Amino acid sequence: MQDLNALVAEACREFADIAESAHLEEAKARFLGKSGSLTDMLKGLGKLSAEERKPAGERINAAKNEIEAALKLRREQLAQQKLERKLAAEALDVTLPGRTAQRGGLHPVTLSQTRIEEIFHSIGFDVADGPEIETDWYNFTALNSPENHPARSMQDTFYVDGTDAAGKPLLLRTHTSPMQIRYARMHVEQYRHATSMPPIKVIAPGRTYRVDSDATHSPMFHQVEGLWIDENVSFADLKGVFLDFMRTFFEDDNITVRFRPSYFPFTEPSAEIDIAFSSGPMKGKWLEVSGSGQVHPQVVRNMGLDPERYVGFAFGCGIERLTMLRYGINDLRLFFDGDMRFLQQFG
Amino acid sequence: MKFSESWLRTFVNPDLSSAALCHALTMAGLEVEHAESTAPPFAGVVVGLIQSFDRHPNADRLNVCQVDVGSGTLLNIVCGAPNVAAGMRVPCALVGAQLPPDAEGKRFEIKRATMRGVESQGMLCSASELGMSDDHSGLLSLPADAAIGANLRDVLDLDDQVITIKLTPNRADALSLIGVAREVAALTGAPLTVPPYTPVAASIDDRLPVKVHAPDLCGRFSGRLVRGVNARASTPVWMKQRLERSGQRPISALVDISNYIMLELGRPSHIFDADKISGNQLEVRWGMSGEQVKLLNGQTVEVDNAVGVIADAGGVEALAGIMGGDATAVTLDTTCIFIEAAFWWPESIQGRARRFNFTTEAGHRFERGVDFSTTVAHIERITALVLEICGGQPGPVDDQQLALPARAPIRMRVERCRKIIGVALDKNDMLGVFTRLGLPVRDLGDALEVTPPAYRFDLAIEEDLIEEVARLHGFDNLPALPPRTTASMLSHAETQRSALSFKRLMAARDFHEVINYSFVDAAWERDLAGNADPVRVLNPIASQMGVMRSSLFGGLLANVVYNVNRKQERIRGFEVGSVFRRDATVVDGPLAVAGISQPRMLGAVAFGPAAHEQWGVRTRLVDYFDLKGDLEAVLAPAHAEFESTPHPALHPGRSARIVIDGKGVGFIGELHPSWVQFHGLSSAPVLFEVELALVSQTPQRLHQEVSRFPPVFRDIALVLQANIPAATVRHCLMQAAGGHVTGVELFDDYRPQKALQGAPASPQTGFAETEKSLAFRVVMQDTQKTLTDAEADETIRRMVEAAQQKHQARLRA
Repeated sequence: MQDLNALVAEACREFADIAESAHLEEAKARFLGKSGSLTDMLKGLGKLSAEERKPAGERINAAKNEIEAALKLRREQLAQQKLERKLAAEALDVTLPGRTAQRGGLHPVTLSQTRIEEIFHSIGFDVADGPEIETDWYNFTALNSPENHPARSMQDTFYVDGTDAAGKPLLLRTHTSPMQIRYARMHVEQYRHATSMPPIKVIAPGRTYRVDSDATHSPMFHQVEGLWIDENVSFADLKGVFLDFMRTFFEDDNITVRFRPSYFPFTEPSAEIDIAFSSGPMKGKWLEVSGSGQVHPQVVRNMGLDPERYVGFAFGCGIERLTMLRYGINDLRLFFDGDMRFLQQFG
Repeated sequence: MKFSESWLRTFVNPDLSSAALCHALTMAGLEVEHAESTAPPFAGVVVGLIQSFDRHPNADRLNVCQVDVGSGTLLNIVCGAPNVAAGMRVPCALVGAQLPPDAEGKRFEIKRATMRGVESQGMLCSASELGMSDDHSGLLSLPADAAIGANLRDVLDLDDQVITIKLTPNRADALSLIGVAREVAALTGAPLTVPPYTPVAASIDDRLPVKVHAPDLCGRFSGRLVRGVNARASTPVWMKQRLERSGQRPISALVDISNYIMLELGRPSHIFDADKISGNQLEVRWGMSGEQVKLLNGQTVEVDNAVGVIADAGGVEALAGIMGGDATAVTLDTTCIFIEAAFWWPESIQGRARRFNFTTEAGHRFERGVDFSTTVAHIERITALVLEICGGQPGPVDDQQLALPARAPIRMRVERCRKIIGVALDKNDMLGVFTRLGLPVRDLGDALEVTPPAYRFDLAIEEDLIEEVARLHGFDNLPALPPRTTASMLSHAETQRSALSFKRLMAARDFHEVINYSFVDAAWERDLAGNADPVRVLNPIASQMGVMRSSLFGGLLANVVYNVNRKQERIRGFEVGSVFRRDATVVDGPLAVAGISQPRMLGAVAFGPAAHEQWGVRTRLVDYFDLKGDLEAVLAPAHAEFESTPHPALHPGRSARIVIDGKGVGFIGELHPSWVQFHGLSSAPVLFEVELALVSQTPQRLHQEVSRFPPVFRDIALVLQANIPAATVRHCLMQAAGGHVTGVELFDDYRPQKALQGAPASPQTGFAETEKSLAFRVVMQDTQKTLTDAEADETIRRMVEAAQQKHQARLRA
């Protein structure tokens, strides 16, 4: 049965040389088909004796199995090759940019304002905003700053052509401090009939206006007012909250904060707050970031509260200033130019 | 306020360096803004005596001087100054001396040099060469008693610091050397030396009668005549130097004395030329309408009954507490003077100078409050200086006290102080603060009682004293307590969208946030908002910021123009900000000001290519439907209707009013072609703005059962008049639809005559020229059963019939 082994070897060789499925099927017919070599051999079994027929048949079947296995393997190989060619043809340049992948962004002042809101929200502060065209009473009088008082000339006020109920000209708020009064009065009203009043804890960010325009002053800018009134909120608490605020905002535990006596009609004691960084371009320089103080008893009264019972602190902080320090912006005017090349950096 | 440190140290001299002294002042609330030496740094300059000089042998304009600098040998120095004279003492820079750096910061060292064949062993200096002044006309002449060879910096006290402090309006008491000295003494414990107020005895009986008619203006008036003064006497060098270092230009002896006392004691006074006072008497009263006075600064002002004046028979001679008049001013020929020191009520001075658009040192002090107890003492001090410098015979001091501020004792409860400051300070420490400040204090056990002195106008209530305790204790020495808070949760309405949520959505849709000024050009309001009556700013910083905006469009359009001018071709910006409109229906409220509505708007603009430059997307310009898509996505889940409506800023055929639940919330559209042309833009920007409060409410979400039965889809293609809005047709179909229609979506708008954006037109039969075809996909579904074909057919039939009846539509063949 020498030729049986030769036949298997020949089939394997022939299959391996075939590159197309159709040709493979033709080859299969030559070996395994009705008139194939192996079929011929099986037909020849009948000429053998009964003793010889069984082992010869087994050998031929074994050879048939071998050829079929070789055929199957080759079929799979060819199918695999075909798939690979197809996939190769479908390949993309995956480095091409994605379609319309751009996105816009928030203004850096909004980025800061949002951080500030989140920081104060985390210790239970509400967020409020109110009118930018204000009355004299809310902007000055209620904040203990009577007409003609020299304290008023600390802030150059824009006036608009309208008057309030008292006949005084309306103005563009010079600070966010009117929101101290507005929010506190709403709060007091809300709890007028309650057995106890929760503390007033609010920040009020927003636009403010002063007659001033140069590289470091803009006629419109943003402030955030902070107010915490309760039965026992002290100047030491103000120091603690503000220190924590600065370190959280700048994500820098090495910031130094100093409180310097100052004067605002609506707080007493009053303090200017300076900060200093321990590294970076501003290292060691005292930078003024906020006015603050214990709310003046007359202002507490104007909120509708008894200053004997309720005390607390307020601060007013320039958001542009914090934003410039945070993001390394050196010219205030960039904030209001609407230059896409500037804004895209914060997307 | 500006003053010299060495002058301050004549009153109080703590053992502190200049820097430490400045720090102490800053940390006590007297913020030091600047501190700089009187002269720039230089070294090796000494007092030299010019023994003799000879003409330089080889140069007409140079001299060769023999200069004694105390070294035993005379120095040979070439000098070109015109005022060189034998016996003159001048600054002499020795060989090796460092002169002040020049404008570029380069230092200049003196070397032995040969000038036109003559050796020069140093340099004689002018004031300008030493950086002390701009005077380069000649050598700086030094006093005859200046010690030869002495360091010039010591002789002229050039290391003296000129300190500028920024005083808060409450601290009028520190607007003087003595005031700052009082503060330094309190801060450091160093003793305070007050200037002498020795009474000067009258040597003549002459008086000038003064009648005070307005005690609400003038609470006290003190005055004195001095005859026989020599107004031409020169001001002593020490006084000139102190005035100059305090930023006051010396003028003449009498004026200088008055200014000096204002700086030294914080006492504004006025010296009249008594011979020019007509009628030989003065009256103090409120002004009368129409009265005029020519002031010392040359300005003539008209007063009224709110302005205090000092007048004589001829009319107003001075603005009370602010500035003297020209007619009675002292001159070099003056021989008889009237010295006035008064107490003017702060309220009667406040704001008056500002009415005339100037400020004066006197007005600045009086409107903040000046010590009312020392008018006479200060007149004595002025008289003494006048006699010393100008001579003369003083008359008696007249003093009228009409109405003075009360100085009631103030109680400060020890516990209240601790509560406000937040630290358990010892009572004795509190007592110590008031003692150091020199304030009379009584211990009442659980409280302290302090009587404010006449020079403190900022102490009236308990908190004023608490502030003094905190200030003197040092803010730095108070603890910083960690925040304490009661643990109550803040309410948060799920149905209320925040401005930030809109901003984030806009940013995610490729818009950059801008912040534009709230005041704009009146032309923008007129042209882009159709607003002829905007809220005007009465004192704008520029006319193009003259009115409050009632729309965000102007600013957004300006953003486009700004960026186009900087070669940016694709611009997408948005803003959230308030606008301002007159509105008589707005009444005063917790967050409202009567007569003006101030709604917060969200506005956006898109200009240039719809997508940024990229490989896979055909380039086309942004259009109305791009921005409408952005807006709809941002407003979702709210559903807006768009009603074709003209707007002054927008293309009349490409603009719409945005309506939600029947209420107008804003506008969207392409910029009007005339504004596109006006701004020279290459294509039309598309803009929208909506009022945030009207789009911020969303319904509370509530689950609805998802049907388990399959949906049925049917398409309807209608042919109808092109001018019928698609939304109207869709609305008609929806109304006829019935319960199980869950969606009617337009998927085609076909117009044979006019291509829509991106869809090329092709000739089509069966269409009139004025017609279009709209195709809708109808989705039907029932939650309870599978819909049959018959049910679906019946629904579609109803819908088509409605469109036929209402809009004369027909099914497309």
